[in-house]
Amino acid sequence: MQTVKRNGLRLAAVMGAGVMLLAACGGSSSSSESSAGGSAAASGSTGDGSAPTKGGTINVLTLSEQFNHLDPQRNYTGVDLAFASAYLNRTLTQYQLAPGADGVTLVPDMATDTGTSNADATSWSFTLRDGVSFQDGSPIGCADIKYGVSRTFATDIITDGPTYAITYLDIPQNDDGTSTYKGPFVEDAAGQANFDKAVTCSDDNKTITFNLNQPVGDFNYAVTLSAFSPVPKASDTGEKYDDAVVSSGPYQITEYTKGQKLVLDRNPNWDEASDPIRKAWPDKVVVSFAIDASAIDQRLIADSGEDQTAVPIAGMQPENLATVFASDDPRFADRSVDAADPYARYMVINTQKVPNLKQREAIAVAVNRAEILQIRGGDFAGTLADGVISPTLGAAYQPSDMWTSAFGQPIPDTGDPEYAKQLITESGEPMPKLIFQFPNNPVDEKIAVSTQASLAKAGIEVELAPLEPGEYYSIVMDPTKAEGLIRSGWAADWPNASTVIPPLFGQNESFNLGFAGDQSYWDSISTAKANTDATAQAAQWADLNKQAMSQAWVVPQVFGKTQYIWGSKVGGSFMWDAYGAIPYANLWVKQ
Amino acid sequence: MSVDTAVPTPSAEVAGLSLRQLAWRRLRRDRGALIAGTVLILVFLIALFAPLITSLVGVNPFDFDATALDPAKGSLPAGPWGSMSWDHLLGVEPLTGRDLFSRLLYGARVSLFIALTSVIITAVIGTTIGIIAGYKGGRWDTFIGRGTDLLLAFPQILMLIALSPVITQRLVALGISPELARVFYLIIVFVFFGWPYLARLVRGQVLSLREREFVEASVAIGAPTRRILFKEILPNLWAPLIVYVTISMPTIIAAEATLAYLGVGIIEPTPSWGKMLADSVRFFTVDPSYLFIPGTVLFVVVFAFNVFGDAVRDALDPRAGRG
Repeated sequence: MQTVKRNGLRLAAVMGAGVMLLAACGGSSSSSESSAGGSAAASGSTGDGSAPTKGGTINVLTLSEQFNHLDPQRNYTGVDLAFASAYLNRTLTQYQLAPGADGVTLVPDMATDTGTSNADATSWSFTLRDGVSFQDGSPIGCADIKYGVSRTFATDIITDGPTYAITYLDIPQNDDGTSTYKGPFVEDAAGQANFDKAVTCSDDNKTITFNLNQPVGDFNYAVTLSAFSPVPKASDTGEKYDDAVVSSGPYQITEYTKGQKLVLDRNPNWDEASDPIRKAWPDKVVVSFAIDASAIDQRLIADSGEDQTAVPIAGMQPENLATVFASDDPRFADRSVDAADPYARYMVINTQKVPNLKQREAIAVAVNRAEILQIRGGDFAGTLADGVISPTLGAAYQPSDMWTSAFGQPIPDTGDPEYAKQLITESGEPMPKLIFQFPNNPVDEKIAVSTQASLAKAGIEVELAPLEPGEYYSIVMDPTKAEGLIRSGWAADWPNASTVIPPLFGQNESFNLGFAGDQSYWDSISTAKANTDATAQAAQWADLNKQAMSQAWVVPQVFGKTQYIWGSKVGGSFMWDAYGAIPYANLWVKQ
Repeated sequence: MSVDTAVPTPSAEVAGLSLRQLAWRRLRRDRGALIAGTVLILVFLIALFAPLITSLVGVNPFDFDATALDPAKGSLPAGPWGSMSWDHLLGVEPLTGRDLFSRLLYGARVSLFIALTSVIITAVIGTTIGIIAGYKGGRWDTFIGRGTDLLLAFPQILMLIALSPVITQRLVALGISPELARVFYLIIVFVFFGWPYLARLVRGQVLSLREREFVEASVAIGAPTRRILFKEILPNLWAPLIVYVTISMPTIIAAEATLAYLGVGIIEPTPSWGKMLADSVRFFTVDPSYLFIPGTVLFVVVFAFNVFGDAVRDALDPRAGRG
């Protein structure tokens, strides 16, 4: 159950694909030693020469009618997190505001350092800085963060947010696997006592300690999520808090009219000295909602009037990319970026429908991956994938051998129908007729047609099942409705493949759409999870990725890329790898 | 069959001509109608022989062609005007490289098949119900009248979108492929929402026809109802029926395009004009020919149908008085 909620919004981000996809995506985090080409482009975009100055208004343009959630415990969409963390929510730690690989370096935010753990990483402590306060001037103490974290447990009210607090905190569980703590909105002394044991505050209300039920070597990355940011108990209105967030950042909400605009003005009680990350250059930030996605691109390309100080929330639409990036037009050189995003996109082969390994191999071998990359937008879509761990995850990414040797011979990008036929013959069973489920949008339906045609060449019959994009994941995540082939995609929650391999191939994980894995594989996942040595752990994830690919549980297709453009009078913008988003906290208006 | 009885004989000169001969003469004099008619015949022939023509040219509407696309431009057509060349006479579709010429030709088959089938079924149902309402009168008429009123009052587009997944899924459950299911769905809804218009039209005609002398004469000599309906009344309904058919065809072709735009049209990989238009709008600024080509074809065909339909109506209606 937790996983459904945990993955809810992220899925929403992936499922749209094509038009919708770029509108919503931008994963939460990535790392990046090797992010292909992206980093270079990103750094190129920062040298705009002008010195940052205070003042002016930054305009933000978005297709959405509203933010999915501004409530810190419910916010779980990459770009929304990037926006809210820049202006409204401070967290214990955060990623450095820098282009390229430095953009995923963990730095302290409200805390004085990036956290200290005990030897086996089952207990993490963070000490708060002096001078951190809410917008009403009241200082933020450990109790406020503790209260914020407790809200995640009210799963009936605080929906859609990440549930790492429930997964990791050392709180006894009921027989059905739910937590004995039901959140702050329910009077339950026993549950509250359990929570109070798991999260403790020092006497001076300055140091917060999280006691975990398992070793979590990267827990200080988990607390970059706004689910770990403070909420003043007195102002908590439960479900309605989404519309009236009390800011801990440099700005506060002056007006929030859904479908129209969100206006942020300076928070007079934000103390610059207490904040090593946020620059707070502009006087005002105005978000305009409900603007057609392609119109946003066109306005930013035209760059007139107020749009000169505008930035988007979503990446560019595929049809507008050539105008900006293929023309070498100097007008766009220093106000656009084309860089790797943290998504891996793939097609799941349901092991319950295709239990025979040779037959799964045949499917993987037959798919014309080059054509899928082409449909997604060629060079702008990204690069051909060989696994589910994106190269933006650094060391955990290792070539999987999937297309070079895993299936007995090298497989060309365009697929090898003859070899697929041979594998089907070797399987000793007739190939079942398959149904391919995909969200019904212009890009995915063409990918489906391509897949159908390339599998047909190998004699594999595929029927297409287009599903309404809005209900896509609720259908394919229902074990009774999942068919043989399912289009999917995933991005890590923070720069560690521990947020990739377990949710995709773990036992009883709701996003293990193809029911992949066996006991020994799951045991290896548990072993890797418990490993606190980051380097050794990365190698374990890379190996598990390789094993998964050799089992053909999924057919990896594309490691994604995202493109942004912004107005000519916006300073300090680049691709912030941490969220695959624009670094809102770094923006200024060029005078 | 003879229809001369229905024609009043206004002057000595044309006394010997039947309604059909009169109409044909008027139609031939109308140059617009001739051009429109020629275009339509051509379109029907092209649709009929699409597989032959495309195989002669050496293309087909389903093959992807990566060589016609430029990956550095985000898989837009590599050449100007949608990568028009001898290989691809009208260029290719962005992202896939499928040949637009052959997709247009095959699209004509789908669009015309849906329009023609819907119109014919509508004509049969609408005429039958209209005749019953008009000839039987009384309670039948009231009942059918209210029924048509009810259907005409339905918010059609809304219903079309809402019903689409439900009905297509039912059809798929019956063992029909999803592609065909969409085609059937479109035909079903066009018929469902189309017949009331025709039924009303026919009812009005029948009401006036049944009071005419030749019908009364048949009744007087004791002809059976079936004979009166099919031999006396039906032949006199051909004129409004032909007009109805020619006027509805373009409406349905355009409606199919509208529905495709709203996402309830034909599904891939079957080409249809509406689908092409809906897809192409996104690419308007970077690949305008992708929008213009199917747009122009759709416009020309709908326009030709309308011109031809008007001309047929003028020709068949002696009171039109266009000289």
